[in-house]
Amino acid sequence: MKKLSIKTFSLILLLTVLSMEIIVFYNFYTSTKTTIHNLIKENLQTDILNLSHYLNKTFHPGSINSVASHIDNILVINNAIRDIHILDDKDKLIYHPTTRYGNQHAFDTNCLPIAKIMQSDILNNQCFEFQLKFYNNLDPYHYKVKIYLDSEYIHNILIEEAKKIFLLFLIVSLVSVAFLIFIEKIYIIIPLEQLRRYAYYSEYPPKNFFISELESIRYSLQITFERLKREQENLYTLSTKDPLSGLYNRLSLKEKVEWLISKAQRDGDQFALIFLDLDNFKNINDSRGHTFGDKVLLHVSKVLLNAVRENDIVARLGGDEFVIVLPKFENEAQITEVAQRIKEELSKTYNINDINESITASMGITIFPKDGKEFTTLLKNADIAMYKSKDLGKNNYHFFTQGLDKIVQDKITMHRLMEKALQNNHFELFYQPKVDIQTNKIVSCEALIRLHDPVKGIIAPDKFIPLAEESDFIIKLGDWIIKEACKQLREWSQTQLADVKISINVSSRQLNADIVQTLIENLRNIDDKKLDLEITESVFLDDFKTKLKVIKQLKRFGITFSLDDFGTGYSSLSYLKNIPFSTLKIDKAFIDELKSKQGKSFVNMIIGIANDLEMDVVAEGVETQEQLSYLKAAKCEMYQGYLCSKPLPPKEFEELFASDKC
Amino acid sequence: MYKIFLLLLFSFILFTGCSQENEKEITISTNQWIGYAPLFYAYEKGYLDKLNIKIINNVSLAEAAELYRVGKANMVTTTQHEYNMLKHETQDIIPIILLDRSNGGDMVLSNKSIQELHSADKIYVYLEVDSINQEIIRDFIKHNGLDIKKMTFINQDQQQIQDVKFKKNRATLIVTYTPYNIHLEKKGFFEVASTKNIDAIIVIDALCTTSELLKHDKKRLLALKRSIDKSIDVIMKDPKASHQIIKKYISNMSYREYLTSLDSIKWINKPSKELLNYISDLDYKEEYIIQ
Repeated sequence: MKKLSIKTFSLILLLTVLSMEIIVFYNFYTSTKTTIHNLIKENLQTDILNLSHYLNKTFHPGSINSVASHIDNILVINNAIRDIHILDDKDKLIYHPTTRYGNQHAFDTNCLPIAKIMQSDILNNQCFEFQLKFYNNLDPYHYKVKIYLDSEYIHNILIEEAKKIFLLFLIVSLVSVAFLIFIEKIYIIIPLEQLRRYAYYSEYPPKNFFISELESIRYSLQITFERLKREQENLYTLSTKDPLSGLYNRLSLKEKVEWLISKAQRDGDQFALIFLDLDNFKNINDSRGHTFGDKVLLHVSKVLLNAVRENDIVARLGGDEFVIVLPKFENEAQITEVAQRIKEELSKTYNINDINESITASMGITIFPKDGKEFTTLLKNADIAMYKSKDLGKNNYHFFTQGLDKIVQDKITMHRLMEKALQNNHFELFYQPKVDIQTNKIVSCEALIRLHDPVKGIIAPDKFIPLAEESDFIIKLGDWIIKEACKQLREWSQTQLADVKISINVSSRQLNADIVQTLIENLRNIDDKKLDLEITESVFLDDFKTKLKVIKQLKRFGITFSLDDFGTGYSSLSYLKNIPFSTLKIDKAFIDELKSKQGKSFVNMIIGIANDLEMDVVAEGVETQEQLSYLKAAKCEMYQGYLCSKPLPPKEFEELFASDKC
Repeated sequence: MYKIFLLLLFSFILFTGCSQENEKEITISTNQWIGYAPLFYAYEKGYLDKLNIKIINNVSLAEAAELYRVGKANMVTTTQHEYNMLKHETQDIIPIILLDRSNGGDMVLSNKSIQELHSADKIYVYLEVDSINQEIIRDFIKHNGLDIKKMTFINQDQQQIQDVKFKKNRATLIVTYTPYNIHLEKKGFFEVASTKNIDAIIVIDALCTTSELLKHDKKRLLALKRSIDKSIDVIMKDPKASHQIIKKYISNMSYREYLTSLDSIKWINKPSKELLNYISDLDYKEEYIIQ
């Protein structure tokens, strides 16, 4: 359907109205014309009938002058009558008003009987006649009276009337069109334009409209815009504020810091960014629940807002990470002052749900432009500095330095290398024999991971294992180790190494419910007792209960556990009591000290404890015959070390086993 | 909006559809004559209003005829004189309802006896020349052997004749008809002849119309005839009641005079075969007469 503009539509409407007015006025004109015709005809008829009546009563050829004045009078009064003639029975003109009794002749015009006057067209029929009958005694005489009409006069009356009607039509049309245009403009065009502007700008709503449909649209628009504005504000809040704390979120922080960077670059200013991470917040969440944790975060938010200055910016990045931006500071002491204040305020005891708690945080500080010229760099470096604080014992703050950056860059490089190695199968398991001291036979081995980088060559585990343990990469790597070790067990099960156990090291992050599933999947068709998991005491520092539950679950399958590096950590006897270890591994540091009396005492003590608890003992790092002799005398069951062999690839390990040379 | 438009359209169709063109008014031009009493009665009783028929009462038959002639009326009461005259002048008049025939209703009054008239040097004759009066006086002159040369004819309508101050010594004849005779008789005139005893003249009063009306409005004309018949019945059966209703149309004559006048005519609304045959010679065609 073709679209019309309001103006075109209105024009069509006006033309239609105008056409209708023309029709109405034309009908009015024809009606008026007919009425005027009829009035003239009735007037003529009346005059002619009166004349007829008068003449028929009074006319006599001998006294014609007695009727002349009456006829003259009619001619004077009725302008529509031009002339009146009386003709005798021989059609001889015997009376003519202008030339009485002169030798005149009647006009050569066909006259209609007066009875036809109402049906006739008086503009075309210019003459009417009636019979004049008079008696001489009882003898009748029939004369004629002819009445000639002044058609020009009648025509002029109609013309005048037509002019008046046309003038009236013009005035009415112009006034009505002007009125319609005015009304349309006031009540439709202007409101529509206002609605268009309102719809476009969504501001300054127009006042109420007279036309209900337009008012309805205006009201709908107003309601819609108000709702949109509210939603927009909500969206803005959602997009810029953290829903929990009401602090700025990461996006908003980024905008503000980038604006600060532009300003600082322009003005040559500097500003500080403090990255704050709550210490051990995970423990709060795990022990008190997330609702409690959220309340703690809310409390921290309030503390931060109270601790900073008026123009400082506080944002929550997510989790327990916060950022404080100090747009202006005179010297680093001012930054320290703020950081210290935050530290002090946070460490104050607070009460949530009738529980008194206190919390600490680690903070890293970067300064623009010294420590970064972009938001991401500043944030990353502050994060690095924050981790340094954590490393230094938490509940502290640390400024970012280039040295810290180097460490982090190395970590990142190593991390990428590990990811790549796992994808390209650059990791390999080496096996170091565990030898029965009494029989000097290899009875077991410890799987130790090696990284073969095509460029850097073999990378020692101490370079990448700690880094892997900092992130969840250790879980992926641990899964790979389990898979490889089980594969090796499966291969050896059909050989002379069928009785050799393999020990693998498990980190704290690995020891969760997922490891159970992983082991079940990989230990199919393998004797579960052939697998031993070595764990250190540090594994139990976090979430002891969960990990104990996992260990007991695996223990039921027949998997054995060895306590690695015993004696170097807390050496908690409660661990030995609660955790079903099968083996104690004496750390190499104790073996190295066997030359001294004190060293011997420690080894004897550990072996004694193990024997008392009916646990096997494995001495690590045995490198000399003397060490072995002593261990044999001390009734240590097994040893592990370069005295027998360094960790070997599977093939070499198999050859060593076959050679029986340890 | 759409519903309102439909409602307006429906209303327009309803109202315009229900309305019909009003019947065109029929105008009967007539005059004071006892024979036209049924028309006056029907008009007063409202019978004619229902048929949208109105009457115009004139002072004479000539005046009544004149209105018909000039087209101001489309029905007219006539005697055969006016009928023939209008037929000659308009070529469009048809008698359709017979009303009465004069049975003494038309008369010649005089202040002198017939003998005195014979001996008079001059006789003044008042009459409506252009009416049945002329036939009556001609017949009277012929019947009584009077000399027409001694006569001076004065053409006046009956109303004018009423007002004439007659001289008693002058031999005067007046051709008139009821009810105008009553007033004249009070002035000393007496009847010397009437249609009761002038055998040569039968005066037929009829209601005539145009051919167009007869063609297009036959139904109303039939209804008019029924109203006239009904009125004649009432007049005949209860003259007193009818007198009260119509006396204003007949010069407020007394009831006695009314009865006398009624005796001077005979109703021919239900004409005999003989009468129809007779009037056919006067060009009253039976086929148009509503019986």
